[in-house]
This record gives sequence, C-alpha cells and structure tokens, in this order.
Amino acid sequence: MSAMAENPKQANRLPSLEKAAVWIVLLVLLALAGLASDAFFKLNYLTNLLRQAAPVGITAVGVTFVMLLRGVDLSVGAIVSMSAVMCALVMGGKPENLWIGIVASCACGALVGLANGLLIAYGKVSAFILTLGMSIVVYGLVQMSTGGTARGIVSPGFREILNGRIAGFMPVLVICLLAAVVVGMILQSRTVFGRSIYLIGANPAAARVAGLPVKRVTVIAYAVSGLFAALGGLALLARTGVSGTNPGQGLEFDVLAAVVLGGTTFAGGRGSVGGTFAGVMVLLIALNLANVAGLPFAAQLTIKGLIIIAASAAHSWIGSRSGGRQND
Amino acid sequence: MRPLAIGSNTDQRPPRIYWALIALIVVGVVSVPQFRTLSNLANVLDQSATLAVLALGQAFVIAGGLIDLSVGQLVGLITVIACMMFEAFPGMGLLIIVGCLTLAAVVGLINGELINRLKMPPLILTFGMLSVLQGFIFMLTDRSVGVTLPAITFLSNGRLFGIPVSLLLVAAISIAAYHALQRSVFGWHLLAMGNSADSARKAGLSLFALTRTAYLVSGLCAGIAALLVAGRLGTGFPNAGNGFELDAIVAVVLGGTPLKGGRVSVVGILGAVLFLGVLSNLLNLLQVPAFTQIMVKGVIVIVAILADRPGRLAPA
Repeated sequence: MSAMAENPKQANRLPSLEKAAVWIVLLVLLALAGLASDAFFKLNYLTNLLRQAAPVGITAVGVTFVMLLRGVDLSVGAIVSMSAVMCALVMGGKPENLWIGIVASCACGALVGLANGLLIAYGKVSAFILTLGMSIVVYGLVQMSTGGTARGIVSPGFREILNGRIAGFMPVLVICLLAAVVVGMILQSRTVFGRSIYLIGANPAAARVAGLPVKRVTVIAYAVSGLFAALGGLALLARTGVSGTNPGQGLEFDVLAAVVLGGTTFAGGRGSVGGTFAGVMVLLIALNLANVAGLPFAAQLTIKGLIIIAASAAHSWIGSRSGGRQND
Repeated sequence: MRPLAIGSNTDQRPPRIYWALIALIVVGVVSVPQFRTLSNLANVLDQSATLAVLALGQAFVIAGGLIDLSVGQLVGLITVIACMMFEAFPGMGLLIIVGCLTLAAVVGLINGELINRLKMPPLILTFGMLSVLQGFIFMLTDRSVGVTLPAITFLSNGRLFGIPVSLLLVAAISIAAYHALQRSVFGWHLLAMGNSADSARKAGLSLFALTRTAYLVSGLCAGIAALLVAGRLGTGFPNAGNGFELDAIVAVVLGGTPLKGGRVSVVGILGAVLFLGVLSNLLNLLQVPAFTQIMVKGVIVIVAILADRPGRLAPA
C-alpha cells in the first residue's frame, strides 16, 4: 500500500480522468435513476436527496482530510451519536439552551478528534485501531449518559429552522451541506494546512525531512474530522428530531465508502473534498434507486453492497485508464 | 523503510500483550474468588474459541497487507444456513457441515478473486461484501431459525477428558496457522507481499495466488467460527456475527501484527484473544454494568495499542 506515493506533485496537478472518474460514475447513476423514475429530476426530489445526504456528507468532508493524510477515522459514527444525543440532552426542550447545545456538541466532537490526533501523532499507533477503540469508548459514554433509552428534547426552533426551505425550495440542511463542502474545499486548496496535508500524505518521511510540522497537521486534521462529525450529528438530529441512543451507528462505514468512492485512497496524498461529495451522492442515489424499485430491506442491503463494489470497480478502472492510479 | 529480514518475526521474544494478560490474570486471581475456579477458566476458553478462529483467519489477510471486513456477516450467514439445514435434514449432518465450510471458503475465494480482477482496495470490496451478505441473511430470515446437532453443540461446549473440545480445535488451527504463516514458503511470500506488494511482484511472486489463498483461509475460518457460534447459540440467529470482523481485527493488531502487514505472530494473536476473553469475563464477574463495560473495553484497546506500539510506525 505504500508503493504509490512516489510523485506528490503529479498527484496534485493531474486534473485527469482519474479525478473525473467518480463524477462519471455519478452521471451514469443519475442517468439510470432518470430512466427508473421521472420523479428523479424534479427539483424537489433532488433537494430532498441532498437533504438526506447532509449527515453523511458533512461528516465525510472531515474524514477526507484524515484520509488524505494516510489516516482513517472510524470514530465518526460514535461522534455523530454523541453529538446528537448530547445536543438533545443539553437543550432539554428549552429555547434558551439552543446555542449552548450546539456549541457543546461541536466542542465535544472536536475534543474527541483532538484526542485521536494527539494519540496518533505522538503515540505513533495505528489510526485504524485507535479510532476504533475511541469509537467504543465514546459509544460506551453515550450509552451511560442515556441509560439505554432515548432522552433529551431539542429546543423549539432547531428542527423548524434547519428543516425549513429558503425561497420555498432550497432546504436549509442542503445549504449547510454545501457550506461544509465549500469550507472543506477552501481548507483543502487555499490554506497552508490543506497543502501540507497533501504533501504529508503523499510522503510522510519526505515531509518530515522537509521540515513540515507533521505532528501539528495530523492533530489538526483529526480535530477537524471530529468537528465535522459533530456537525453531521447535528444535521442528523435536525432530520430525525429525536436523538435515540445510537443514531450514528454504522455511519462511519457509509462515510468511509463515500470517501473512497470519491477517489481518496488509503495510501493518502490523493483525492479531494469535491470527490468525496460526489462519492456521497453516488452512495445515496444507489440506495434511493433500490428504494424506488420497491425492493425489500434485505435486497436493498445486498444491492447497496453490489453498488459500492461496482462503483468502486468502475472508478478504479477509469482511473487505471488514465494511468494515474494503481491499487496494490 | 522496513528491515530486510522478513522472517525475523519468527524468533522474537513473546509479544508484549502477554504482560497485559498476566497483569489481568493476577488482578483477577487476587480480587475475584470465582475467577480462580477451573470451570470459569474452561468458560473463558469456550467463549474465546470463536474469536480465536476468526482472528487466525484474519491474520492471513492482514499479514499480506489486505483486510477482510466481510467475516462477521459471513459467520451470521453460515450460522443461519447451517441451522436451517440441520433442521430440514437432520440425518445429513456431516454433509451439511462440509457444505457450509465449502460455501464459506467459496465466499472468501470470491472476495480474493474480485480484488484481483477488479483491482479494488480490499477494504472497500469486503465492506461491500459485508452489506451483500447481510442482505442474504435477511432474505433468508429475520428471526432465529433452525436447530443445531448434538455434534455441533459438543464441538463448542463439550469436554473431552475434561478439556474443552473447542480448545482442541483452536489448538489444531493455531498450529496449522503457525506453520503456514511463520514456517512455510507460502507464509514468507505472503509476508513479502505485505511488506511491499511492488517488490514482491518484481521478485516474481504471484500476488493473485497469494491474495486468493489468504481470502480462502479467512472465509474457511469464518465458516468454522460460524459452526462454533451455532453450537453455542443452539439456533441460527441472523445478527450472530455483527461486529465480529472488528473484534477479530482488534485481536490481530493487539497481538502485534501491524495492519499494513508484513509481520505476523500467531502466538501473539492467541494472547490477545485470551486477553480480551479474560477481560470480558472479569468485568462480568465484577458485575460492571454493560454500558460501562463497553467503555472500559474501548479504553483498554487504546491503552493496549499505545503500550504495544512498535515505535517506528509512520503516522497512519
């Protein structure tokens, strides 16, 4: 897996077919969806689809940074749960607690991410296992605080505003998602942090020798991932209105699938927030197609799996045509 | 980046997880009277058997720098299928067992073949397969079905001259895995692929064949684990294998095998499995609430991995 980091500059510069791959897959899926049902291209349907994508999409933006750095963050599902549960608990149904709940959730998400980053950067341990352990810890804490039943009530106004539509058609949650993507893109290409991430991900040893602050960037990346996961949790809470006990269960896998579909490899140094957004949409449209086709839940699971495999295979096939990418 | 001697792992001192295991056992022996009984020891061993088999299977893929996330749902699927068949055709036990193990191995083979042909990241492919298999399970049933045979129950809970049968099974698989991974040419080639797939290919190794074999073993082990699960539960529970894949990966890594592959320690994996089993047993005996147990386990995983770090890993 470490063999493909040889040319970071090329990876950054090539706007080739490799980067377009996920968009091609997305277009094909959209065309298929259009054939399956004419409702697909109605504005309402599309905005609804984007609205559904908000929790996974917002979270995936943060995870992209970690993956670009050759890391991985499996704790985001638990952070999403924590954020949703905590926000509802802190709000307690009182309007004056609205902002306290939101800020507390974001702060806790960022803190968990910070802990991940510090342990990974200074402890030099496998990110996979560490964030997995962290997700178990956070999940346990969430369960302890809820006692295993859904508790907490959102403040009045929270759901209403986030589920509203601006100008009658644009859901606020969609704007939140797009804002998260735009912030992610700016972070990725307009900041020193973003550029450092590509360089470190492409070749950590060289980056260290060149004097880049590898540890600091790593810590920040995980904190960013935690923060975005907390925001994703808030989006999930806004959609459902009740926190449940573990609303983010398994979400980390959807996020991971979306990020990888979007062209960010586990080898780091390649990929983009924009690609991740496309990956999220591919995943969601695939699920929606299964739903539209009226398949039972079990068949939907199977089809979801097949589509993840097919989309990823198509993606890597297109990528290999452009000569840019190889997997092991 | 890595030392040249691939096989150097075979002659290492005992993996550090054993210190944690010993510490845990000392704590248990000192503080919990029930922990000291022989029947409790046998209990821990029985409960750990499934994880041990799964982790040993996972060791094959991880050693080669790959990963298999589909084993948990594969366990669920095989458990359900086996129990349904046992109920429908009680007279054909042996045939069903062989059939189920073959099916599990074939699923593993499909994983490996798809990774080869489609040139996909193993994580994403086996994650997709996880979903596919879960769908299959729920197409078959959404509740517990079927029965097990006495022979299967004997396999997971029985005693032979006072020794748990599952322990004998795990011992046999461990010895086989040790020889395959750490004492055979195949193992050397697999570790070489884990170290650097590129170099291994340039050295003329068939990465396709290695990948295929590793996944075949992983699938087969999941099949064996599924029979153990069926024996313990006595019925085909569709969610039986949920999360097993992560437990297995944790055990492999705690046992001193890095996720990027290239090194492996069967003895270490067994230590890690025992460590997790004893930990869970102690927490139960101490009557720690379930949710607190979850948190404690997470903390232990983090502490253990921090304590067991090789010290020269890149931030990954």
